[in-house]
Amino acid sequence: MIEWSEQHLMIREALQRFVQEEIVPIHEELEHGDTPPYEVLRKMYSSFGMDEMARTRFEKQIAWEKQGKPPREKKDTADASTRADQTAMSLLPIIELCKYCPGMVTAMGVSVGLTAATIMSKGTIEQKERWGKDVLTFEKIGAWAITEPSSGSDAFGGMKATARREGDEFVLNGSKTFITNGPYADTIVFICKLEEDGVDSRDRRILNFVLDSGMPGLQQGKSLRKMGLHSSPTGELFLTDVRCGMDRLLGGEKALSKGGRSGREGAKDTFNMERAGVTAMALGIVERCLELSVKYANERVQWEKPIGEYQLIQDKLARMEVARMNLQNLVFRTIELAANGRSMNLAEASAMKLYAARAAVEVAMEAVQVYGGNGYMSEYHVEQLARDAKVLQIYAGTDEIQIRAIARELLSR
Amino acid sequence: MKIMVCLKQVPHQDARLDINADGTWIQEDNIKFEINSYDTYALEEALRTKDAGEADVFVVSIGPDRVGQALRTALGMGADRAIHVNDDEANGSDSLGLAKILAAVAKQENPDLIFMGLMSDDDNSAAVAPMLAQLLDIPHTTAAVKVERSNGTVTCDREIEGGAHEVVELTAPCLIAVQTGLNQVRYASLKGIMAAKKKPFDVKSVADLGLSGQVGTGAAKVKIDRIAPPLKGDTAEILSGSTAEVVAGLVSKIKELGLL
Repeated sequence: MIEWSEQHLMIREALQRFVQEEIVPIHEELEHGDTPPYEVLRKMYSSFGMDEMARTRFEKQIAWEKQGKPPREKKDTADASTRADQTAMSLLPIIELCKYCPGMVTAMGVSVGLTAATIMSKGTIEQKERWGKDVLTFEKIGAWAITEPSSGSDAFGGMKATARREGDEFVLNGSKTFITNGPYADTIVFICKLEEDGVDSRDRRILNFVLDSGMPGLQQGKSLRKMGLHSSPTGELFLTDVRCGMDRLLGGEKALSKGGRSGREGAKDTFNMERAGVTAMALGIVERCLELSVKYANERVQWEKPIGEYQLIQDKLARMEVARMNLQNLVFRTIELAANGRSMNLAEASAMKLYAARAAVEVAMEAVQVYGGNGYMSEYHVEQLARDAKVLQIYAGTDEIQIRAIARELLSR
Repeated sequence: MKIMVCLKQVPHQDARLDINADGTWIQEDNIKFEINSYDTYALEEALRTKDAGEADVFVVSIGPDRVGQALRTALGMGADRAIHVNDDEANGSDSLGLAKILAAVAKQENPDLIFMGLMSDDDNSAAVAPMLAQLLDIPHTTAAVKVERSNGTVTCDREIEGGAHEVVELTAPCLIAVQTGLNQVRYASLKGIMAAKKKPFDVKSVADLGLSGQVGTGAAKVKIDRIAPPLKGDTAEILSGSTAEVVAGLVSKIKELGLL
């Protein structure tokens, strides 16, 4: 793939119109107020038929699984160009929304990406029907709870949240933090360790439970204040003796029968998917920063010349354009791999995410620099984008974790 | 029911417009185009008629290859098929030439309703709709801000001077040229855009429509002699300097002219 197809460009234009008509008028409340992003995201889902598409896909998959057939690989369900289009259709909304509200993409991605994807990959058919469908169509808001106050990058090793067996039930305890959609989530995937006598904490089984908002013992904290990403509510979850039946354990009995250090592998697939999404986010942020910087460089006059005529500003614009081209090519590669029924290995996905996050931060900070004093003011959009971009180096695996994954792969060759 | 929607592709509202070398039109290379805003409301009105019952909605446009994208966007929004009159012989047609081409398409298709925009964002002539209705000898109305259909008749509110509405009733087949804002134009769904690739898309030449020699530059009675931005007059004075100096200059100017 070397360029967007006409259909992709049509989708972009339709999304751009949606952003201009539905998001730009409430941008201030989303980014500097307390308006949660869900209503406008739902409107996007219904306006573009994304809910209907998710529902149809879900029903097909469930019908297939009910025949007792093994899960189908994506490459078996569509031809190459359809697979390319499907991937492009999932990335284009990310790119276009990120030009204004990267936080909205985070709220959307965690709900329909992480949460629904976990239920759909680990759940039983009953669990998929009970929780997966509504989260996939955005009727319900999902949260995926792994991070804890004392475990971030070492998510599984340092995890303290527990599930204790009591007869047919599990009793869940623990606290989670930095949980996207936490304050508003209807459906929460809670990741914890099974209490097992005689097994070292690091080696205990990891279990995923599905919780509904309002369950006794589950408390959803209010939105935390943070540096950026204000259009994405982030909060804490506190669980005190939350009682669940086997029906809420993702995978049911099967999840328990796996021995040893099971339960960790699925989360790693999830990390991989997140890394591709972050690259599309970076592209959106960079495209917007570049567009704004070029406009400002042409308009802003100092010493009787537009600042774009000064070579130091030209250098910044040229570097931004190089980043934009690289990111776009990485997005094209993601689409091309999907068309061929392939995906990146962890090290390549990590390398892509590392580059994308750094490029977005560098470009956004340079955009602030092009804008000078204005860029430091909240009135100008580059200020928000610079704050938002920083999270890309932290979530979905910090830069340092990406570097470790790349180095491990290189050194094992 | 068969509904024809006439679309024009015009330069994007954010496009930077430069005048071409011979001063008769803008430079069209490397600028973005979009569907004329008035026509998007016409399309939406047609699609609503379709949603309310059975209708075959087809979109028609005249112009070079790039116009195909406007038609495919309309297909993505829900139109059933497209007719693209793509022929160099149509270039340079005046409003009457364009109306003749659209009339020839309408005569082949016999639509019950024709929806189109009141005018185009680019040259604002508002002439094609009444001319087309005249050539087809069917009733028409313009500046419609409300359209209601019942058995064989269409009742429209027209916008007239002073914000008043005039209510007209038309018998189908008829033509309705709409004002902007009469509805909320839908977004093309992602599935719709992908499905648009497979919908019927006819390309016609001027000869296919039996109009050879009757349209295009040669037949045009109205020709654009020259387009130009408004001339800069010498009545404007640009104040320069720091903000304080500019404000002081402005205040003294106001006093000097006795405006306060």
